[in-house]
Amino acid sequence: MASVKLKNIKKNYTKDVQVIKGVNLDIQDGEFVVFVGPSGCGKSTMLRMIAGLEDITEGELMIGDKVANDIHASKRGIAMVFQSYALYPHMTVAENMGFALKLSGTPKAEIDGRVKRAAEILQITHLLDRKPKALSGGQRQRVAIGRAIVREPKVFLFDEPLSNLDASLRLNMRVELSKLHQDLKTTMIYVTHDQVEAMTLADRIVVFNAGIIQQVGSPLELYENPSNLFVAGFLGSPKMNLLDASVVASDNRSATVRLPKGIAVRAGVDAARAKANDRVTLGIRPEHIQLAADADANAIPARVDLIEHLGDHVLAYIEIPGINEIISVKLPGNSTTLKYGDAIKVVFPEADCMLFDAEGLAFKRVR
Amino acid sequence: MSKSFTRALELTGQYAGLIAFTIFTTFPFIWATSVAISADPGNIWLFPGAFLPTDPSLVWFKRVITDIPFKDYLLNSTIISFWTIFFTVVISVMAGYPLARLRFPGRGLIFIGIIATMMLPSEVAIIPNFVTLKHIGDFFEATIGYKLIGLNTFPGVFLPGVAGAFGIFLMKQAFEQIPQDLIDAARVDGAKELQILWRVMVPVSAPSIAALAIFTLVNAWNEFIWSGIVLTSRDKYPLAVGMFNDLTGPFAVSTSMVMAGIVLSVLPVLIFFALTQRYFISGLDGAVK
Repeated sequence: MASVKLKNIKKNYTKDVQVIKGVNLDIQDGEFVVFVGPSGCGKSTMLRMIAGLEDITEGELMIGDKVANDIHASKRGIAMVFQSYALYPHMTVAENMGFALKLSGTPKAEIDGRVKRAAEILQITHLLDRKPKALSGGQRQRVAIGRAIVREPKVFLFDEPLSNLDASLRLNMRVELSKLHQDLKTTMIYVTHDQVEAMTLADRIVVFNAGIIQQVGSPLELYENPSNLFVAGFLGSPKMNLLDASVVASDNRSATVRLPKGIAVRAGVDAARAKANDRVTLGIRPEHIQLAADADANAIPARVDLIEHLGDHVLAYIEIPGINEIISVKLPGNSTTLKYGDAIKVVFPEADCMLFDAEGLAFKRVR
Repeated sequence: MSKSFTRALELTGQYAGLIAFTIFTTFPFIWATSVAISADPGNIWLFPGAFLPTDPSLVWFKRVITDIPFKDYLLNSTIISFWTIFFTVVISVMAGYPLARLRFPGRGLIFIGIIATMMLPSEVAIIPNFVTLKHIGDFFEATIGYKLIGLNTFPGVFLPGVAGAFGIFLMKQAFEQIPQDLIDAARVDGAKELQILWRVMVPVSAPSIAALAIFTLVNAWNEFIWSGIVLTSRDKYPLAVGMFNDLTGPFAVSTSMVMAGIVLSVLPVLIFFALTQRYFISGLDGAVK
């Protein structure tokens, strides 16, 4: 087991094309860290650099207490699970899992023992003699994970391992990966673009965008206190509602902002650095918007545009006159009386409203 | 017109086309076979009589085997073809891999150079190769006292042709189709470049290698001009040269015997194809996704 330290890592493909623009990150021994971000944000490249499959243009990579920049992939003590599984099609499952040990000259009896133990952990003992083409997608992914376990690596690297699986299998494997981490207590770095995987698996999430780390923190920390607009919009489903606004009044306990058409909303943030008339973005998560009684004078009138019944909850898409964006609202599953075209009133609770300045940086929330 | 009638018409058309094509491509061989198994050569120039064996028997095959050193020729052909395939595959794999997968300066230029040799007819190489071989033979004779490579030797027959642009091109294309993840996985597993090549790339490319082996076999087996020029002693002749030498010409014994010889010389290739054709089905199943 080992920690992983990234010090000012940069990656250039050509002189002008820089895909990783200075990444600093400390990953603790035994931690489960998830790199998340949209396609092309550099998260997979970062993982491949840790694996030793891409050269590091600048900066220092430490695995354990050794600088690993120039160590061959196989000597770094890492094992990697690929999105495409990358099983050797001409070998049986057992040979696939034991290939690395065979290459390193491990005695056959020990290879068999370790393959058998890994197969037991993953419940694929009955598949050991099969070739990959006789396996289902989920079984193949298990074999790929088994191949990593057998090597007893210091760090596991996962490159979108569940993306090719169907929804229910993905859920199962997610739970199993979580259990695997609890059992092995090995450092794991996991790349995904799926924020649900990120939220459920991670000890800490690292949000990437355009080759830069946007924020690092525990899933709840990132969800509740996103440091900027990108993180706010990226985590959460449906997305956080983000509305253009301008500051009316602000102090270090709260800020009052005006939405178009003069609707005023208060946000519980430390907005001492904001001035009146500053352009800001108001953010509120769908589950925090509340329906209000018709008589409520502070409530904002709106109209229902679309209703989606999802069983456990109802998603309502509403329109507020004067605001261009459609606002999504997450309501309890029993609010079945709403229908298309209904005139309703909603409240944005002060404590749940977030505020972002013109650069997209969040104002600190007051709790 | 009803749907099923249209369908029947479509099928008839397809089969008619395919059958016509089959007849067109196989009729020389059918003719040769039919003549070879006819004991009575009376009908061999008549149509359609020649296509139906008259008085079927294997007598001409027996004559071929007893009258000329058929077994020696067969052995020579086998030796030459085996080494041709072996060296062609090894060289094509070793050259195709770096061209497909490694990054080094001049890679594109080297590939263009190799492909450019395909533009030249192979006859262009006959005289330079002959002269080179003679000198190599002299060199070996002077240094080790034995003509390992040279005129009238088997290596002289197969070595000039083994580094062919076609094989290198075929293997390069095959290696390019292997997913990068598979190579990365092997690299993480600790495989060195050569181990990646022999333990992962080559087994996965088995269908392409089988195809290359078949093409090479057919070419080597049927090769006539070059072996006829390089080989001067009769005991080294391969089938194509030996058969032509013994069975045709002004003193030719019988057309039926020539045909029987042709059928016999084609059979080994057909058998080889039957044995290897299962490798043509894709080898990449289950590797990714």
